[in-house]
Amino acid sequence: MKRELLTSFSNAASQTFKLLLDLDVITDPVQSQENNDKKEYLENINIVIEITGDLNGEVIYSFPKDTTLEMVKMMSGMDFKEIDEFVKSALGEIANIISGNALSSLSQAQLICDIRPPKIIEDLTFTVSEGCSIYRTKVKTSIGDVELNLQTTQAVG
Amino acid sequence: MIWKEKYMVGVPLIDQQHEELFSRVTAFVETLRSLKPWDQKLEKVNETLEFMKGYVVTHFADEEAYQAAIGYPHYQDHRKIHQRMVAYVVAVSEEYENEGFKEELMQQFGGKLMAWLINHVLADDQKIAEYARSKGVN
Repeated sequence: MKRELLTSFSNAASQTFKLLLDLDVITDPVQSQENNDKKEYLENINIVIEITGDLNGEVIYSFPKDTTLEMVKMMSGMDFKEIDEFVKSALGEIANIISGNALSSLSQAQLICDIRPPKIIEDLTFTVSEGCSIYRTKVKTSIGDVELNLQTTQAVG
Repeated sequence: MIWKEKYMVGVPLIDQQHEELFSRVTAFVETLRSLKPWDQKLEKVNETLEFMKGYVVTHFADEEAYQAAIGYPHYQDHRKIHQRMVAYVVAVSEEYENEGFKEELMQQFGGKLMAWLINHVLADDQKIAEYARSKGVN
């Protein structure tokens, strides 16, 4: 069930990238991570969206900096040379839109959840804790690959 | 922000307002992103923000009236999306005024507004257009 949960988010990411940015996307199969695995997202912009309700946990979207700047350029038609408050906020809204669409599709499977406002973290490192499940996938685009991690703290399905 | 053919919903009044909204948000973002010091662009930022606050409400009201007129079944859900955005704009404007017109908050507002508007027109508003086409109304 958890693999399917993350698939809802990666499908929503694919649709959103296509709709907003005209990007074609290839998605990797969802993989699980073992306890104590460590993952570093240095040089990336990471958007953390907390999920509450029938599912409790968080989705972390990890965007390479160059991909982030290109996405904001594609939306605005303007050049962006560095990650600033405007860029981070635009990216946070994209993650928000993707998550909202994913939860909307999950609600059709009777899984009712809500999301909290996005938190933006640069240079994230995290380790899988005992008792947590983490699933990961990669959404590949012509302007870079975006990683999605789903970490749940409550058993689902 | 570049106005694209695919943003059009096929209802002249709504398309005209969307184009105006895109034009105003673009002017707002260009002012925000210009290399001038903040105090030199503050007046134009504030002027554009005031216009948008009023225009967003007018546009949302017109769009909701159109939805009601054609019997759009997701009218209430769409209205809630509009209400949440208006509440966000009002909250940001109040914080901006209360905290002394700080640039950081306006940069955050500009980034979110741009992404929200593009998605809203392409995702939510296109559903109204699809319904109108399916019912043969305009």
